[in-house]
Amino acid sequence: MANRDIPEINAGSMADIAFLLLLFFLVTTTMDKDQAYVRSIPKKIEIPPEDLPDVQKRNILAIKANSQNQLMVRNVVFSDPDMISDFILRFYQTSEIKNKPEENFPLYSTATLGLCDLRMAEMEAKIEEADKVGATDMAKFFSSALNEWDKKKKAIKLYGKSELREIDKQAHIRIEVQEATAYSIFTQIHNEIEEAVIELRNNKCKELFGEPYTLVKQRYNQDSDAKDKDILDLIEILYPARIIEVTPKN
Amino acid sequence: MSKFRKEQERSAPAMNTASLPDIVFMLLFFFMVATTSKETDPTVKYTAPEGSRTEDLTPYKQRSEIDFLYLGAPRNPNRASAFKFGYALSLDNVVQATPDGLYSTNAVARWKRDKFDQKPARMIAPIEAVITCVKADQSAPSGLVFDIRKQLQDIDALTIAYSVKDKGVNKSSQ
Repeated sequence: MANRDIPEINAGSMADIAFLLLLFFLVTTTMDKDQAYVRSIPKKIEIPPEDLPDVQKRNILAIKANSQNQLMVRNVVFSDPDMISDFILRFYQTSEIKNKPEENFPLYSTATLGLCDLRMAEMEAKIEEADKVGATDMAKFFSSALNEWDKKKKAIKLYGKSELREIDKQAHIRIEVQEATAYSIFTQIHNEIEEAVIELRNNKCKELFGEPYTLVKQRYNQDSDAKDKDILDLIEILYPARIIEVTPKN
Repeated sequence: MSKFRKEQERSAPAMNTASLPDIVFMLLFFFMVATTSKETDPTVKYTAPEGSRTEDLTPYKQRSEIDFLYLGAPRNPNRASAFKFGYALSLDNVVQATPDGLYSTNAVARWKRDKFDQKPARMIAPIEAVITCVKADQSAPSGLVFDIRKQLQDIDALTIAYSVKDKGVNKSSQ
């Protein structure tokens, strides 16, 4: 009796069980990733400033959509949303090589290493001054400005040329929708902006570093390589995406 | 010739299927690891609009640095009139009125604050960086999205994401 062999368990149905589990997971999971346009919201201002600087008309690219889902860019009404990206490309490229003041598009200014050093020294002096008085807010503001100039200096060095042409600081894209405008139109506008900006950035990045911006960004998101970060910074200084979403009035 | 005849008479041996479960389990584990399940099933009806050149939110999901809210038509069409523009807001499967509808106006702000406070202490991202992803119906009015945006601005949750379904890059526009 004690010597009797234990019979082997039949594992033939194991595959069936595994298949059952597999099918369950296949059916219940969704493969599509969550995709979105990520935007930042400006910080709330407690006390609205009294004297706002004037923004020149040439620096604004207003994309408007009304409650009938009609689109308008700079007083041109059209129905095909694909045209928005062409407008944005023109907005960036008109004065890119040489300033054309006669066109109604933003002008470019030239930044050099010398200018960066000058501005950085100025900012350092201002921080010191603010620290002396104890104005921490002002000190914070100037140190962020200092940071910006430092970034620009690094970018020029990486750019490899003596100067860097950058679009007017005030140049921005403005989205003005109405309360009843469909969400799909709103996202379509974001889509067109993204398309145009990414095209500009990809082309520039390919020209300078031999690979598209999107690829570098993807790699940076995975590996956080400092070299990639510098490349991204440079491209983002060359083609900044400043987007303002205007809250619709009631 | 006799040699060949012998061969034909022999029956084929049964195939060994012992490794079949292993293969199937391997597939199973692949799917378990590679897929992410939907956070919640929305309690409102919504169809996402299409778009291209979007950002993938998976890394944020893995770090739990993202909260989702849904904006769509209520499941019961008779209730649509109770909401502003006929669209309801769903926060964690609880249908809320749109910001100035039935319930409290700061539902979004309170929900976001609660969610942020419930996150584990090891999560270091400040509330400004925690994304709020708005999943709105394609024909939802943008005014409601701006109402949500206003609520988020009030509590300094300064990153918003407008959800779309990625249709890939349009080849003709390249």
